[in-house]
Amino acid sequence: MMTPAGGGVAGDGNDTLVGRYGRHVAVDAQPTAILWLGDTLLATLGDGTVRQLDGGGDMAAWTAHDGAILSACRHPDGRSIVTGGDDGHVRRVGLDGRVDGLGHFPRRWVEHLVASATSGLIVAGAGREAVVWLAGGTAPAHRYTIGSSIGGLALDGKGKRLAVAHYNGATLHYATNAASGGTALNWVGSHLTCTLSPDGRYLVTALQETGLHAWQLPGMLDMRMPGYAAKTRSFSWDRRAKWLATGGDGRAVLWPFDGKTGPMGKPPLLVAERMGAIVTRVAFHPREDLLAVGYDDGAVTLARPADDRTLDVDGRGAPITALAWNDAGTWLGWGAEDGRIGLLNMRARA
Amino acid sequence: MTAAPPIPVTVLTGYLGAGKTTLLNRILSENHGRRYAVIVNEFGAIGIDNDLVVDADEEVFEMNNGCICCTVRGDLIRIIEGLMKRKGGFDAIIIETTGLADPAPVAQTFFVDTDVRARVSLDAIVTVVDARHVLARLEDSHEAEEQIAFADVILLNKIDLVDDRELETVRQRIRTINNQARLHETRNCVIPVEEVLERGAFDLDRILAIEPNFLSEDDHEHDVAITSVSVTSDTPIRPDLFMPWLRRLTAERGQDILRLKGILCFPGEEQRYVVQGVHMLLEGDHQRDWKPGETRTSRMVFIGRNLDAAALRQGFAACAARAN
Repeated sequence: MMTPAGGGVAGDGNDTLVGRYGRHVAVDAQPTAILWLGDTLLATLGDGTVRQLDGGGDMAAWTAHDGAILSACRHPDGRSIVTGGDDGHVRRVGLDGRVDGLGHFPRRWVEHLVASATSGLIVAGAGREAVVWLAGGTAPAHRYTIGSSIGGLALDGKGKRLAVAHYNGATLHYATNAASGGTALNWVGSHLTCTLSPDGRYLVTALQETGLHAWQLPGMLDMRMPGYAAKTRSFSWDRRAKWLATGGDGRAVLWPFDGKTGPMGKPPLLVAERMGAIVTRVAFHPREDLLAVGYDDGAVTLARPADDRTLDVDGRGAPITALAWNDAGTWLGWGAEDGRIGLLNMRARA
Repeated sequence: MTAAPPIPVTVLTGYLGAGKTTLLNRILSENHGRRYAVIVNEFGAIGIDNDLVVDADEEVFEMNNGCICCTVRGDLIRIIEGLMKRKGGFDAIIIETTGLADPAPVAQTFFVDTDVRARVSLDAIVTVVDARHVLARLEDSHEAEEQIAFADVILLNKIDLVDDRELETVRQRIRTINNQARLHETRNCVIPVEEVLERGAFDLDRILAIEPNFLSEDDHEHDVAITSVSVTSDTPIRPDLFMPWLRRLTAERGQDILRLKGILCFPGEEQRYVVQGVHMLLEGDHQRDWKPGETRTSRMVFIGRNLDAAALRQGFAACAARAN
């Protein structure tokens, strides 16, 4: 994706919500994930540190990895996060700044991490292995070896069904079970980021050559969703799991997953179009029909899918790489490639 | 914010034992003040002394239709994306390939993937050739020939192990396959780093310096599979004729065309148009203004199998603008 020249954060601030109801924090490295624990934002960075921020501005920085943090998710305990680095380590970072090792995979990159508060499972993707920690575990319990490098991981709503995207398809496991034989879902191509619907009925993967592929389970009915301008790297289900919002195009592309056959034969809803920009991140509000959208020109907007009305949250700059709501939906946080982190207080707005 | 300049990538190829690792360590140990990220294949990489060494698994996969021209290195796409997250930690990237690797998927990766293209640029393919064994390798290995064909820079190494006549034969053979690469003769890969790294944009200007008649078509031995053909025109080239010609040519003959490069003068345009390709993949752009006094010759070089020099020349000539 190209980064348009010109523009800039400064000067745009007053016209956007962040200028009135939020704030910017500049960090020295690229945010690779934004995670909320209550009202506290944790940003994992490309320099191996985790930054702790909140609305007031108190800040802490902890070194978690020697190298970049490539992947991160919330720990099932709700009080810490799990980080994966290009140093091959998986670590738990607590709100008190304590860093504990969970596993080490020498000479490999930990590029994917997912966890479920419901099942307590944590799954990491390192090279061709999906490594599982059972509830409360501080060491890996078992692992599944895939035929090629892992492109993406996803857990369903119960946190037990695991989808692993890879070359020429995806594999499903019951991740609590070490002996779980994989169910192979075949489709030619390189499958990257993926998501399982909360009810586990659909697996959707993003393809290297752009576009999505979906399987309806258990029948494995194939669906293709082509037409994207760029690779999709971000998925978000709305609170009712009716809509799947996706990035990778000039608009947020929302696929309907209600009804018997999901998006089969139905057109997507296209919202929050921004001329000359590509949607990089999407995040549905946890309690309202509101979608946060981040773009490769650095902008962040809030869109209401019902009437496609949008509000500008943040102005232009480097591409948005991370975007997340806290569970209560009172805070939105985002990060841009050049180290700009933004926080928006939704309560202040109301 | 302005777009960050793309990070240069150097691809290091060469048959087993030619001296790739020696060259790599020489580059890394020299005191040049540059920081490199080195991507190595998982079977090699022993004794490479660098802060940032990444294992690659050389996963080649086919994009959509399964044609040879759309095979890319999926692992490289992933690794480069990962490296960009720690941007600022290094100045350039070096990719070492296994001796048996076909260079095409590596090169194609830099043409095909939009995100990779936006962040890094292929600076040069550097091929290390073992002067003593290369002729035998060319007889029995398709990859050895392709590695020479794809090169922008060739290090003819171990020249101390052959006599003058052998060396001349090897030189001729390399030139027959690839007449546009910069050829350096080395012992133990001793060469200034700047001759190898960060040469800039595939070293396109190099093609302007080629002697067009270095090798006349009649000299070709019949068993030579890969050759270079250069075509020139002193008359400006019409883009409305040239683009469709080149597209048709690469669509029909892309399997055989390993690489192509061109610098073109379009009528009435002050900027040079540069084009380069790997198999069927093409990339073209306006590059810079013609300098005052610079001869506005348009030139293309094709490297490939079964190239019909006469047809290429004729096709290119037909794209020249007729004087009014």
